Amino acid sequence: MLFNSLDFAIFLPIVFVLYWFVTDKRLHWQNLLIVVVSYVFYGWWDWRFLSLLFFSSSVDYWVGLVLEREQSPRKRKLYLWASLGTNLALLMFFKYYNFFVDNFVTAFTFFGINISARSLNIILPVGLSFYTFQSMSYGIDVYRRKLKPTKDFVTFLAFVSFFPQLVAGPIERATHLLPQFYIKRNFDYDKAVDGLRQALWGFFKKMVIADNCAVHADMIFNHSSEYTGSTLLLGAFFFAFQIYGDFSGYSDIAIGISRLFGFDLMKNFNFPYFSRDIAEFWRRWHISLSTWFRDYLYYPLGGSRGGVLKTIRNTLIVFLVSGFWHGANWTFVVWGLLNALYFMPLVLSHRNRIHIHGISPGRNLPTFREFLSIVCTFVLVVFAWIFFRAQDLSHALDFVGEIFSSSFFTIPQFEGQYQAVTTLILIVLFVCVEWLGRNEEYAIGKLGLTRGKPYRWAFYGFILFMIGMFMQSNETPFIYFQF
Amino acid sequence: MRHLSFIFNFEMTMKKFLKHTILFALFFLIFYIGMVFVWGVVMPPRFRPNLTYPLGAHGFMHTRIQEVKNTKNVDILFLGSSHAYRGFDTRIFEEKGLSSFNLGSSAQSPIESQILLKRYLSKINPKLVVWEVFPATIEGDGVESALDLIANDKIDYLSFGMAWELKNISLYNNLLFGFFREILGMDRDFEEPKSDGTNTYISGGYVERSLEYWHVKSMPAKRLTINPKQLEALEKAIELIKSQGRDIVLVQAPTTATQYGSILNNTMFDSLMSRQGYYKNYNQILALNDSLHFYDSHHLNQAGVEIFDTKFIEDLKTNNWLK
Repeated sequence: MLFNSLDFAIFLPIVFVLYWFVTDKRLHWQNLLIVVVSYVFYGWWDWRFLSLLFFSSSVDYWVGLVLEREQSPRKRKLYLWASLGTNLALLMFFKYYNFFVDNFVTAFTFFGINISARSLNIILPVGLSFYTFQSMSYGIDVYRRKLKPTKDFVTFLAFVSFFPQLVAGPIERATHLLPQFYIKRNFDYDKAVDGLRQALWGFFKKMVIADNCAVHADMIFNHSSEYTGSTLLLGAFFFAFQIYGDFSGYSDIAIGISRLFGFDLMKNFNFPYFSRDIAEFWRRWHISLSTWFRDYLYYPLGGSRGGVLKTIRNTLIVFLVSGFWHGANWTFVVWGLLNALYFMPLVLSHRNRIHIHGISPGRNLPTFREFLSIVCTFVLVVFAWIFFRAQDLSHALDFVGEIFSSSFFTIPQFEGQYQAVTTLILIVLFVCVEWLGRNEEYAIGKLGLTRGKPYRWAFYGFILFMIGMFMQSNETPFIYFQF
Repeated sequence: MRHLSFIFNFEMTMKKFLKHTILFALFFLIFYIGMVFVWGVVMPPRFRPNLTYPLGAHGFMHTRIQEVKNTKNVDILFLGSSHAYRGFDTRIFEEKGLSSFNLGSSAQSPIESQILLKRYLSKINPKLVVWEVFPATIEGDGVESALDLIANDKIDYLSFGMAWELKNISLYNNLLFGFFREILGMDRDFEEPKSDGTNTYISGGYVERSLEYWHVKSMPAKRLTINPKQLEALEKAIELIKSQGRDIVLVQAPTTATQYGSILNNTMFDSLMSRQGYYKNYNQILALNDSLHFYDSHHLNQAGVEIFDTKFIEDLKTNNWLK
């Protein structure tokens, strides 16, 4: 089920009423309701894949219990690998099987050996990468004895399948989310209203910014051979805002809706396009995944301790795996590699943590130096997005080649450029609002809160009106569903 | 005691939340309706993509609707997409002693045809309804034509029903806007020019285009997918026509061989239409030239129209469709 669908608009109030008025007497019933509605939410897309979700959750629940009982370090390690192996096997099969088969065949053919291997028509289950990672974090934390395993199966199922964040995150840590299922949730007016406000902003980002940018980005990327370098760069710019609006919009909706049910999810985006260097960008972009890789991959590999070579190796591994996590295509690997190359000089010169504070605190505008850093970082990020969005590597290289040709110095021209100007104006307005709220939890978190109710309601009404005026007529899925 | 205070607190906060949610919903409803009107009047088209309000925009629907209101007792009523109003030249039929009216409109799908029939069929009182069924209109959602209808015809309960059925934000916005314009009489003095230089409205609903020829281009192959909502509307509309004791003929007007050949499952469409009643596919009857008889991949030019209409009138007489 999509957040931006009529189905969800009916589903949410029903769940809200059942949650607070019918099952509120007992915690167990409330958690059970979460499991049921989350499975309905997921099954709306394809009920057959519910078995995968249930299977992955069951394995990790069982491993958690066994890890608690088992004292032998060797056996504990074995059980942990059973959990990780199961989740990774699911990912490998559903997400990467065809990629590996195709590449093996290509590699063998290159060396003159013809092998026969068949690609399978595999459907990638929505959100597989998200819920397997969340489930794996539970197993690892129990193994590390950072977390006591839950003995309540229903609670564990609710933790893995919690519908607001099931299909596209934030990828929650068991240490943060699971304990929230143990305690009785109290309805908090301010929290619920704040949640609705955040969800509203998320819908605006998705339906106004991302979906309108998608029209132009798709047009330019899908017909890139017909366009000049300047048009292609504009296409990459539109894609940058499409993916930001789409993914951070989803996170805002997920966090906002969770607050409606008394849950706090972790922050997933922190105004990444205002970052002053790439290290800061990665502290602000898809935070739940970056920190996942930091805690469960980078640190166990040794992090930046152990010399320059090890730091380079570990950084490369983390970015390449992160790229590969996004999809079974070399374009994602190159995207990861590019980010590693951007990041490496900063980490090697120990300058990766110089921008850990807010952006231009107490000022309305950035300093010239800050502005320059923000623009440079943004340009690097946009350049990397080209590889992320391209259909394959040769497409990406042709795209980049055209940008670095003389056709860059022409006026962009493409089908739909009249509407593109409107989209650019919307982006400028959006960036202004984001800048005003850059040091808050989300852009409109405190905007106008000191004003009276008529003003605030008119403001929220206007955001909703803008959605109604600029949204696409058809339901558009979120980009990260495919990961 | 703690439990009681929790319940009390819950009731208070939840009550406040629900009260404010309902109040906001009411406020928003009024705010939205007001904003649609103000935005539609003040903002240039660029800033209202979901409020296009195509009053007199294309296909001369406004003029056609004004004319149909004064039309009655014709031999033939034509319905369908632009293939209808650019394919059946009422003057040619007149020459052969047949009175007719062309109620086709751009991308008109069965959902809109059904509404037009409910509004005007009894009034026009035709002996025969000729419905041009272009596959794309039975595939599509019908939004384009619905907008055309909202902006150029009256707004009544049928318009609201259509918007509800099509579930499209653009339709809701245009319907609200059109509703206010109608109440305030803002479109009362609107005069649509009868010609835009290339297309000229001919009394009786036909639109004549200055003679042009298509530069043949290859077209990608595709398969038709029938929209069940459109098929249902088609069946209901046919039922309505028959219930009034009128005859109906379904016609697929000729398109270029390039366009027709690019569709891989034409036979499925033919068999589906044949099940609805008397059906003729002129793509299989006439051998027209893609360039000489068309101005684009699927619209006849005037030379093509004359051949098509002559053949159609011949069939009309041979088959005794007009009893």
